[in-house]
Amino acid sequence: MRGLFLASACVCIFAVGVICYFLFANGLPFFAEYSVWDFITGTEWAPTRGIFGILPMIVGSFLVTFGALLLGAPIGVLTAILMARFAAKPVVKIMKPAIALLAGIPSVVYGFFGLKLLVPFTRNTLGGNGLSMFVASILLAIMILPTIIQTSEAAINAVPNSYYEGSLAMGATHESSVFRAIVPAAKSGIVSGIVLGIGRAIGETTAILMVAGNQARMPTGILSGVRTLTVNVLLEMGYAADLHRESLIATGVVLFVIVMAINFLFSFINRRRVMQ
Amino acid sequence: MKLRSFTALLLILTLALGLTALAAQFDAAQTITVVSREEGSGTRGAFVELTGVLAKDAAGKEKDNTYSEAIISNGTNLVLTTVADNQAGIGYASLSSVMHNDTVKALKVEGVEASTENILNGTYKIARPFNVVTKGELTDELAIDFMAFVMSKEGQAIVSEDGLVSGATDETPSYEAANKSGSLTVGGSTSVAPVMELLAEAYMELNPEAKIEVQSTGSSAGVTGALDGTYGIGMASRLLKDSEVEKGAQPIVIGTDGIAVVVNLANPVEDITVEQVRQVFTGEVTTWDALSK
Repeated sequence: MRGLFLASACVCIFAVGVICYFLFANGLPFFAEYSVWDFITGTEWAPTRGIFGILPMIVGSFLVTFGALLLGAPIGVLTAILMARFAAKPVVKIMKPAIALLAGIPSVVYGFFGLKLLVPFTRNTLGGNGLSMFVASILLAIMILPTIIQTSEAAINAVPNSYYEGSLAMGATHESSVFRAIVPAAKSGIVSGIVLGIGRAIGETTAILMVAGNQARMPTGILSGVRTLTVNVLLEMGYAADLHRESLIATGVVLFVIVMAINFLFSFINRRRVMQ
Repeated sequence: MKLRSFTALLLILTLALGLTALAAQFDAAQTITVVSREEGSGTRGAFVELTGVLAKDAAGKEKDNTYSEAIISNGTNLVLTTVADNQAGIGYASLSSVMHNDTVKALKVEGVEASTENILNGTYKIARPFNVVTKGELTDELAIDFMAFVMSKEGQAIVSEDGLVSGATDETPSYEAANKSGSLTVGGSTSVAPVMELLAEAYMELNPEAKIEVQSTGSSAGVTGALDGTYGIGMASRLLKDSEVEKGAQPIVIGTDGIAVVVNLANPVEDITVEQVRQVFTGEVTTWDALSK
C-alpha cells in the first residue's frame, strides 16, 4: 500500500521534472543568441525582424493580474466571511453550488461572456473600443473568485469556535468578533487562496485572448488593450520557426520563473509566521 | 443576511447588467476600431501585401506596418464577431466566410463589389489563392486520391458553391470513387478549413472507409505541418514564401478567394479605395469622418 502512495507521488514529481526539463532545455539555448537583459527589458516585439522584447507582455500580465486581485480578493474574502459567519443557511445553500459552478465554467465560455456582455458594456459606458485591460481584469477577477472563496471559507470554518465565543464573552459585537478574532486566525488560509488565485490569473490564456485586444506594445491605459505573456505564446506558436519558436519557449521559462517566485514568496511569508 | 434581501439584490444586479448595449446612432467622429489577424495568418499576409500595408522600410527590408493599436483576433470567426459587435469596427476576412455571414457588411473596393464574378474577371483587387501544400510529390494513396477529388469537377463544384473562384473548365475530369481507406490529417489556414471540411465530408461519403480530419491552425502552421509531416496535406491561404519553397513545399491552387473588407452593419460607409484601406490599417487615418472621399 505504501508503495502505491510512493508511486503516485513519484509520478507527480516526474511530471513536474519533465516539464521543467523541456522548458529549460528548449528555452535556454535562446539566451545564447539573444541577451536575457534585452529580452526582458526590450519594449518592442517584432519577431519577423528579429526583435524580441517581452517587457510589454510582462507589464501586461502583471497589470491584469493586479487588477484582478484588486477586484477579486476583497470580494472573494468578504464573500467567504459572509458565507461562513453571516449568511442565513438557505442563502449559503444557494451560494455554495453557484460558486462551485463558477469554478467549473470553461475559459472559452468566460471569454465569450466577456466579449458579448462586458465589452459592449465597457464601450458604451466608459469609452474606448471595449477590448481592454479593464474587461480582462474583471473577467479574471470572476475566474479567481471561486478559488479564493472556497479556500478562504474552508480556512474560516476551520478556526475553532472558541475564538468567536471567547470574543463575544468579552463583550465584543458579532461583527467585531468575526473580523478581529476569527479572520486573523484564518489569515494563512486566506492568503494561500489568494496566491492560488494569482497563479490562475497569470496563467489564463483563452479568455484574455478574446477580450484584451492583444496589441503587442506597452499598455497605454486601463481602457486600452494589452497582450499578456500567455496570449503571446498562444498567438504566435502556430507559425513560429527557429529562433522565434525558441523565444516563445523562453517566454514560458519567464512565466515559470514568475510563478515559482510567487510560490516561494508565499511559503517564505508563511514560514516566518510559523516561526513567530 | 436574509434570503429575501439576497434575492432582491440578485435581481437588481441582473437587471442592471441587462441594460447593456442598446444600439445607438452611428457616430462618425468615433475612433476606428481596427481589427487584424495574428502575424502567421495567411489572410493577414495576403491582405497586407495586396493593400500596401506591407512596405519596404528605410533599410529595404519588408515591414508589416499594421497599426499598433489594432486588435488582434486569432481566426476568421473572431474577426467577424468583433466587427459585428462594434459599430466602429473594420476588419478583413476571407470572402467565402463573409458571404454566409449576415452580421457584417462587406465594403465595395473602388466601386467593385466583393463577389465571385468580380474576382473571376479580375476587377476585385483584393484576392489571393487558396493553396493546398504538400512536401514534394504526394506518396500516400489516400492523399493522392483525395487531391484528385478536390481538383475534379465534383470537388471544384463544391469549391465554387462555397464562394471561392474555381479554375475548373469543361475539361476538368470527373472523379471516380475507388473506395480508398486509411486516415489523413489536413491542417492549416482557418480560411481554407471551411471549404476543406465540405470537401472532406463529400469525399468520405464516396469513400466510407476513409477518414479525413481537418484542423484549423493558421496558414503558416499549415506549411510547417506539411513539411514536418504533422499534416498529410497542409492548407495555406496565401502564396508560399521562398524559404518554404526551398524546404520542399509545393502548392496546388484549389481556388481563388477574395478578402472582403468588413464593417459593422450600422456603418453608413459603402465604398472604400485601396489607398484608404491602407491608411486605416496603418493607423494614418483614425476616425470615420476623416475617411474622406
